[in-house]
Amino acid sequence: MNTEKAANKLRDVLNLDKTAIKQIPFNEVKITISKQQLLLAVKTTLKSGIWHLSAITCQQLEDDFILLYHFWKSGGLSLQIRLDEKNPQIDSICPLIPGAEYYEREAREMFGIEFLGLPNPVPLLLPDDWQGGFPMRKKEQTNHDKSEGDDLQQKGKSS
Amino acid sequence: MSKITVPIGPQHPLLKEPLSFLVSLEGEKVTGSVLRLGYVHRGIEKLAEQRTYIQNIYLIERICGICSHIHSTTYCQSVEALLKLEVPKRGLYIRMLLCELERIHSHLLWLGVLAKNIGLNTLFMYAWRDREIVLNIMEEISGGRVSHSVNVIGGVQVNLNESHLSLLQQNLQELNKRVKEILRSIENDRSFQARTQKIGYLSLEDIKRYCVVGPVARASGLDIDIRRDAPYAAYDELNFEVPVMTEGDVWARSILRIHETLQAIRLCVQIINNLPDGPVSITAPRRVPAGEVASRAEAPRGEVFYYVRSDGSQNPARLKIRTPTLTTLITLPGQLKNMQLADVSTIIAGVDLCIACGDR
Repeated sequence: MNTEKAANKLRDVLNLDKTAIKQIPFNEVKITISKQQLLLAVKTTLKSGIWHLSAITCQQLEDDFILLYHFWKSGGLSLQIRLDEKNPQIDSICPLIPGAEYYEREAREMFGIEFLGLPNPVPLLLPDDWQGGFPMRKKEQTNHDKSEGDDLQQKGKSS
Repeated sequence: MSKITVPIGPQHPLLKEPLSFLVSLEGEKVTGSVLRLGYVHRGIEKLAEQRTYIQNIYLIERICGICSHIHSTTYCQSVEALLKLEVPKRGLYIRMLLCELERIHSHLLWLGVLAKNIGLNTLFMYAWRDREIVLNIMEEISGGRVSHSVNVIGGVQVNLNESHLSLLQQNLQELNKRVKEILRSIENDRSFQARTQKIGYLSLEDIKRYCVVGPVARASGLDIDIRRDAPYAAYDELNFEVPVMTEGDVWARSILRIHETLQAIRLCVQIINNLPDGPVSITAPRRVPAGEVASRAEAPRGEVFYYVRSDGSQNPARLKIRTPTLTTLITLPGQLKNMQLADVSTIIAGVDLCIACGDR
């Protein structure tokens, strides 16, 4: 109930059309917005009384990045933003929700998204001297990809 | 006064898992701290993209050595939602039983760790002795003490028989008695109060600003519990209370967790008394249709969040995991500030960290 109201309010404030709102399982509403609308959308969501940010999911779809801001209050409300692969930049929401810091820092080092205004842009999970690129991007390979199963077994025998 | 910086971790007797704190001190007072994660980062989210949905159940159970079952439960219910599967009631009940047993086990383990950190070794031994009861039950049911591999997509792969039920009945009664005894002995214990009251305070505003979940949030007066607010599995058919306290310090978190343990025991008893008949699982198709799902569940430490996107192939296109520890870690520098060095161990133990969960 709560999230539906908030979704309608977001639609009014941001002038979105009906197709921007989608239902996904477990009572979750997904709203697609543009990256310029993010801060306004988050402010509106907070004003509707939904202050709990569960997570920020970053993923690669085709060539672009998709960011999902998952809010929750008895039901889910996700804001979806598409970012261009060549210029993955977006405003940080930490000034509005300090709890988003670790989620943004994780997306920053794993996917290379630049969050403008992120208070503490230093590595969180990866080593300080990490030079291997952004590990969660689709083109980055794990050892599992690089070698076939047989190769792994041979390596095991020789070492 | 001279300023010094003390590194706590990544390897430190105080910590059970690797985590690094750089604590700056002025005399005995903490003036600031820097937190660093990643010492047990295994890249589980990336690995999950290279494994099939079924292989992932076993990968995901390895995220955590304490709450392995809740991870696979949340994952399985996400995939079941994508497949639009209706899991048989008996399967859901057995899932919930394991979830609640795991909560008891996790809270008693934590109580032992806290007690040891503040120097109450007797309490540590009592808590861990009683935890053995739960571990034995879980071993009897699933064959494993911490990793159960009970969940499959579409239900569970173990069934409960008469001997399991009578074992549960007997042991839960005994456990209930013992946990009440622990509660009675620490509630009014002056040395326990002296070490935990007004330590690691978090206000309700801070809890909301940092989006904290679970017992830490409930100890500061935030009434939030996924089991009640957005019931998954079959929690809407069960009767339980969500304890909430307002003190917001380590003491409140301790008492609250013991009350939660008692509620979990009550839930277990309800589950075995109302266990439905019928199959425990249904066969799930191997290919998952394209779609996305965000699912939540109440782990012993609070809301655990999974996001799964399927592109119709046999592997998930994206699996995002947010564990409750990540939300409490971010509050630690604030909690440590202006505290005495001797209280650092209490505060770190008090929030119940699971670093393996936080790093993934």
